[in-house]
Amino acid sequence: MTATDPSAASFVVLQVGERQFAIHADRVSELAPPVRLHTFPHTTPLLAGVIVRRGRIVPVYDVGPVLLGRPAPSHRFYLVARREFGAESEPSAIPVNGDCELANAVPEPPPADSHPYVSAKIEVGATRLEVLDLESLLSAAPAEAQP
Amino acid sequence: MKIAAQESSKFRRALRSEPVILFTVSNFTFAIAAGAVQEIRSTDSLAGSATEIDQHEVPKVRHSFERAHRTYFVVDAATHFHLPASRPSLVLILRQVRAAVLVDRIERMADISSVYPVPRGFVGDERRWYRGLIYLDDRVLPIVQPSGFLTADEFTLLDRLVSASGQSDLALAGKPEGWVPR
Repeated sequence: MTATDPSAASFVVLQVGERQFAIHADRVSELAPPVRLHTFPHTTPLLAGVIVRRGRIVPVYDVGPVLLGRPAPSHRFYLVARREFGAESEPSAIPVNGDCELANAVPEPPPADSHPYVSAKIEVGATRLEVLDLESLLSAAPAEAQP
Repeated sequence: MKIAAQESSKFRRALRSEPVILFTVSNFTFAIAAGAVQEIRSTDSLAGSATEIDQHEVPKVRHSFERAHRTYFVVDAATHFHLPASRPSLVLILRQVRAAVLVDRIERMADISSVYPVPRGFVGDERRWYRGLIYLDDRVLPIVQPSGFLTADEFTLLDRLVSASGQSDLALAGKPEGWVPR
């Protein structure tokens, strides 16, 4: 299977901490600079606060506890992606550490023992990456964390 | 949840604005509609009239006081918002709810023209705590929901405890839990 395979799709490769993951490109809105994080008390796991981006209030999710087993280290950008809520969607930001890149790859079913937030596996160069299912990831409790 | 572009101050005045009080608790700033606050008093001035409630079911409430023949419950905002203990110096006596809220200090008053919904990603207690978010002076602040400080069940429990301790509030009979007329 190659990137020219008709079953290939576009993915954004992102880095959280020292690990790389992928997200379907059609879910990604933009890569935003590290603008000010506004915080206020709440009890929702993973939510770090909100940023204001393009005139919208965007919740920021620290996915480090789920993906790395600890809070993500300091970040360079926010990856803003659409999170679905029934028929509506909401922009949601994930702090990422490095540049994100676009890759075409053929998604393969994840191994049976994969975490619920892994929807597929792809091969980018010599690296096999987990494709993240945004809804499962962002609604996961940190207790599910398994680096 | 789109934030309106910066309007001129003249145009902004023409919009229907709402006065809010900005207050701080444990270094966090919150807003509350000015119309939801009946009175702001120092904690010292309340000390003489407040009665301690010996209970552990609602840890954020340690005191009550009588006002216009009704029992008001004093809510520690730091405990309510799961924040570190603070040194409250003021108490906001709410207008439509039989609650008074201990806060650290008043920052200032402001006029707001929009309240944005809390993003759907927030699914915890904050959905009850906050009426929404406001964007003020390059800050996003939560605007509190006055009825979110105590639930109907908490009012029922606290009323029962106060009543059992001999502070029965007969004036409340037949009234919705926690509510006082304007």
